[in-house]
Amino acid sequence: MLAEPQPLATAERPMLAASDIHRHFEGMHAVDGVSIDVPVGKITGLIGPNGAGKSTFLAVLAGTLPATSGAILFDGQDVTSWPAYRRARHGLVRTFQLPSEFARLTVLENLLVAAPKNRGDSLFGALRGRGYWIEDERRLVQQARALLKRFGMSAKESDYAGTMSGGQKRLIEIMRALMLGPRLLLLDEPMSGVHPKIVLEIQHYLEDLRREGLTILMVEHELHMVERLCDTVVVMAQGKVIGSGTMSSLRRQREIVDAYLVG
Amino acid sequence: MNTYYAANLLVYAGIDIIACLALNLQFGVSGIVNFSFIVFQAVGAYAAAVLSMPPDTANGGFQHYIGGYSLTFPIPWIGGAVAGGLLAIPVGFVVLRKLRSDYQAIALLVLSVIANTVITNADKFLGGAAGIALVPPPLSERIDPNTESYQYLYVGITAVCVVLTLFLVNRIVNSPYGRSLRAMRERELAATAIGKNPVELKMTIFIVGGVIAGLSGAILVGFIQVWAPSVWLYPETIVLFAAIIVGGRGSNIGAILGALLVPVGFEEVTRFLNNDPAIANLGPPGLIPALQWVAIGLLIIGFLWFRPDGVHPEARRVFEGAPALED
Repeated sequence: MLAEPQPLATAERPMLAASDIHRHFEGMHAVDGVSIDVPVGKITGLIGPNGAGKSTFLAVLAGTLPATSGAILFDGQDVTSWPAYRRARHGLVRTFQLPSEFARLTVLENLLVAAPKNRGDSLFGALRGRGYWIEDERRLVQQARALLKRFGMSAKESDYAGTMSGGQKRLIEIMRALMLGPRLLLLDEPMSGVHPKIVLEIQHYLEDLRREGLTILMVEHELHMVERLCDTVVVMAQGKVIGSGTMSSLRRQREIVDAYLVG
Repeated sequence: MNTYYAANLLVYAGIDIIACLALNLQFGVSGIVNFSFIVFQAVGAYAAAVLSMPPDTANGGFQHYIGGYSLTFPIPWIGGAVAGGLLAIPVGFVVLRKLRSDYQAIALLVLSVIANTVITNADKFLGGAAGIALVPPPLSERIDPNTESYQYLYVGITAVCVVLTLFLVNRIVNSPYGRSLRAMRERELAATAIGKNPVELKMTIFIVGGVIAGLSGAILVGFIQVWAPSVWLYPETIVLFAAIIVGGRGSNIGAILGALLVPVGFEEVTRFLNNDPAIANLGPPGLIPALQWVAIGLLIIGFLWFRPDGVHPEARRVFEGAPALED
């Protein structure tokens, strides 16, 4: 299903190591010296109250926002100065907090467009005509249809993505990210605004993906979900990491409970 | 209908179709709001003119322009296309890299106004406000341009260029590359997150569109044999945008229909209004031409309101073996 990466990261070396990341907006320290390691093959949760800087931090990791300072090692490689599209091509793929489907592309096209290694996806490839790229296209259509089947959306493949429900758009986004063959998936509140039934589905899909060895870092507010899914949880407040560990160990730490878990 | 009028109409139709296909690629498919499109047509026309004309000391030196190389067809047309593409590089470099897309549109509109003003006032450069006249029509050294057969020939060459352009843009739009362009149009940030480099995509399409626009200018100047700032004022771009919106954004067939309906059909119909003295003398002088612009504006608003997808909307791509649509 997923593209075969050659993981350099090991149990000892994390998939992603961010050290002392700062992101300032005109004097406001949205992310203020955050360091985390994302271990291989695990789901790491990132929680914290609104305005804690979680989404900003995720955007910095993905390259959507440049870091003011700090260093990001992805699979042992320093990607700090890389633009977002280059990180995505190397398997560091994010999703967005708000639905971000390509509305006037069909559901299937939303998946196909993300696939790397299509000979027709360059100006000269396109100008050489259908015969030049149709084999790649057929292979990718098969791959995309397999994903659609797995996520229960085969019947929708020819519908415009913009006409889908909020939950279906979430699924499209996750499938689209998977088409890239990610090594690390950054999920920004994948359950927000989603019908409870689809929340359960997404949970099962994420558990499956972890079983297959995909590394995930996810920002999520729904703590029951975090508890069930995440191996390790990092808590942020006011731009800083205030604790990390398993959810049950965090529940025993007074300052974390005060900062976030209660009220 | 006499041959000259028919040829005139057909050549204009061809030029407008080529221009609309280019603008559709930029605006309809890729979402680049190129409000300076007409400048790229103009630079193609100027380039083709000075490449085909003798130096400005000829004809008694009554006009001034740079160059003057007396090159034979098709070099001036190729030169016009190249000039359109070359202009797109610095413009794209300044406008497309850092600015957000709505500011890109404004910057390009301003560029169009500035370019026209500069060329109008730099009278030694490309003829200034008076422009350039006596541009030799292509192949005129072999065939007398004042014959019916030459008119047919010109229609034929234009038609070849239309077919060639359509062939190229179809290949781009209906490929995986075209899909990436449409994804960028829909949501640029999300396209970046799946590994697309929007600056590279936009620059490429800006240059490709510039080449096609330059070619359309070269065909036009070879036909009308004059070129001046008054024929490429910024509202000309708006007419082409109206054509794309009426025809159907993102659809090449729509762009062709739009070109036939708006710049050709609409303007021809309203031109006849001017021929009728009863209408032409209505109200203050200049009322009818002014109302033509009002009508173009209403046409854009009307379509955006009632039929935003145009007369021939962008096709939904259904893949072989897809389950039947539910609706």
